[in-house]
Amino acid sequence: MRMTEAPENVRLIGGEMLLWSDLSNVSGFTDWRGVALELMARLLPADLPAPRRVLLVGPHPQVLVDEVAARAPSAALLLRSYPDACALGERHPDLAVHCGRLEAFAGDEPYDLVLAFDGLQRTHSAEAPAAAWRESLSALAALVAPGGRLVLGVRNDLGVDRFLEARPPDRDGGDDQWEPHGFDPSYPDGPAALDAGLEAAGLQVRCAYAAYPDSLAPRALLSREALAHDLPEALTFPLSSRADDRMLVSDPLRLARLVFRHRLGEELAPFWLTVAVRSEDTADPVDLPLGLIEEGQAVHEVVPAVATDTRPVAMRRLPDGEDRPIPAGRVVEEILVEACAREDVRAVRELLAALARWVEDGGDASATTDSLVWDGERFAAIGTGPAPQRTPAPEVVLCRILWRFAVRLLAAGHHHPWPWPLQADQLTLTLCGMAGRPCEQRELDLARKLEAELGRPAELAGTAPTYRDLLRARDRLADQLTAALARIARLETKLTYRERELVRARGKLRRTQRKASAYRRTLGYRLSRRLSRPRQVARRVMRLLSG
Amino acid sequence: MGRRGHYLIGAPWIYLLDLEPDLGAKAKREGTIWYPFHGWEKHSVSGDHARLAAEIKDVETGPVTVCLYWLEFANPRIRQAYEAQGFRVICHGERGSRWDAGGRDFLRKQLTQLRRHRRVASNRLGSALFYGASVGCDVAVYGDPMQLEDERPEYGGTARRLRLWPELHGVGVDPELARQAARRELGFDYQATPEELRRMFGWKRVRCA
Repeated sequence: MRMTEAPENVRLIGGEMLLWSDLSNVSGFTDWRGVALELMARLLPADLPAPRRVLLVGPHPQVLVDEVAARAPSAALLLRSYPDACALGERHPDLAVHCGRLEAFAGDEPYDLVLAFDGLQRTHSAEAPAAAWRESLSALAALVAPGGRLVLGVRNDLGVDRFLEARPPDRDGGDDQWEPHGFDPSYPDGPAALDAGLEAAGLQVRCAYAAYPDSLAPRALLSREALAHDLPEALTFPLSSRADDRMLVSDPLRLARLVFRHRLGEELAPFWLTVAVRSEDTADPVDLPLGLIEEGQAVHEVVPAVATDTRPVAMRRLPDGEDRPIPAGRVVEEILVEACAREDVRAVRELLAALARWVEDGGDASATTDSLVWDGERFAAIGTGPAPQRTPAPEVVLCRILWRFAVRLLAAGHHHPWPWPLQADQLTLTLCGMAGRPCEQRELDLARKLEAELGRPAELAGTAPTYRDLLRARDRLADQLTAALARIARLETKLTYRERELVRARGKLRRTQRKASAYRRTLGYRLSRRLSRPRQVARRVMRLLSG
Repeated sequence: MGRRGHYLIGAPWIYLLDLEPDLGAKAKREGTIWYPFHGWEKHSVSGDHARLAAEIKDVETGPVTVCLYWLEFANPRIRQAYEAQGFRVICHGERGSRWDAGGRDFLRKQLTQLRRHRRVASNRLGSALFYGASVGCDVAVYGDPMQLEDERPEYGGTARRLRLWPELHGVGVDPELARQAARRELGFDYQATPEELRRMFGWKRVRCA
């Protein structure tokens, strides 16, 4: 480490970690993207009189730092890692970079906007015992100027992702685990405790968000007001799905769906993000969104629906899209899985036939059962995926939808009524037949090509199966094995019985043959044969003549 | 539904209707086809056929065809009981079984006859009536239900049928109700698609001339 080469704008404040980098560690900090950028842009509006002084506390993704540096007239960073501080200081020579622990930082002047998207966990260093959460918060709050705002992230120790993770990162015993987490009584245990902590620090909560789908890479923010509504499935389903290939205890879908259904979306959110303000003034000019959701590169805002609509919220594509209502109804995949569990082949047949009609009437070619909702009359796509370059034939589109469903159904180990196909391909052909659109292997191959083109792999081959799936698969195999063994035993018994019968029959046959040959050797038999031979010949001649 | 290890596809009859939309259809349907409750290969049925024939004669106004099961058809005394009233007596033949190919045309013959008649009746509610109702016959259930020897009481007997389908018993039955019951009992809503059946039974596609 060459200390002499530190950029001029980097200031060491004490507690700096010289050989430590949060930014170079992949899971070292919360990987915020579009939604955080959007929220930050709302707090640093280009047209309004912007907050003059902005402070970023803790490690943040590079793109966020760049954006803050570009927007704020005067920005500063507070990082514990010396290499990170040097790297960012070099990249942004205008930024004031403070390197050290939060408690040791005493800014000369409070800040108009303090951003701590990553939370307070990575603001203390190994050089001193970690401060309690509440102490860190009061140190942070002290940096907020009157009328200034604070954005604080807090990971929920009882978030839904914590129940699902087979290997929680904080149990990995990684190098950054020098202070075991979970023993700090002041750490907030719920949204109420978080609010109380902020108020005790002299701040007022302006807007409280719950971040989904997990605490490492949040892709959606939903405000407390939005979560109070019964949110449509089209909104909550994508937030519940599995993001990447982490090893999980179970598919997050089922548990996360329950969380939203029971309106525990805030209590069990993986991560909370609160915007607080130090001010008695209630009229805040900043307009905070009801919710923000990332879909690939695009960010959508959740907006209140117009009063005439029965649905609570609508979506707006940012930066300046139209409001569009969120389609009502249930996710097609869930309807199908439920019908399969009940062995209700009639419901499956009807829904698939309706789906086939929808596809033939020009339905979205990139649709899948997990991105469509069905309200009993029509289908609607939850989000629009990338469209294929040229529109494929409807039977190929249908075949792809069903193939993807078959793969997911089998991979998730759901019960299904079809006893014969064990392979996804076979099941797909059956499903196509049930939709009344029989197809061949050729269409299936085209469908697979289409799937590859659309680039949303259904096959979970790359991802580790979840622990519960493994258990279920083991139980299923054990059942099949028991059944197969019983069958073998039954067939063995039958075989032994048949063998015995065969031996007995053979013995009988041999005895009869022996008796017959003995009989043929007798004088009486030979005599009678001699006598009957001429008569037989005569009869044959007669028949020839008459015929 | 909801039972494991089963697969609902509805009755074979609905597939026959699908394959033969106009087999035996006639412009003018008339008369009644009467299916007296029958015994089968293992148990015979006991009852007074002459009295039943007289009752049919009282009720029915049009020409009557009596369709007997082959066992009873082979019995001249039973046949005589119906012929004496001037009824036409027919038989759809043997039902066949899993092992012998006989009776392959049983349902086809039944369909032809049902489409010729305006009305179908029996002394016990049975499949013939549902079949009839599904092709537009009026339905009637009346007369002595007779007794199968060794009838298993756990099936509930006549009392159970009366309890389950009270609306289908009587000399005249609401045709709409009968049609709905037939649709339900024969599982019209559960008809599987051809490809589905093919895959289920492992049938090979055969090129037909």
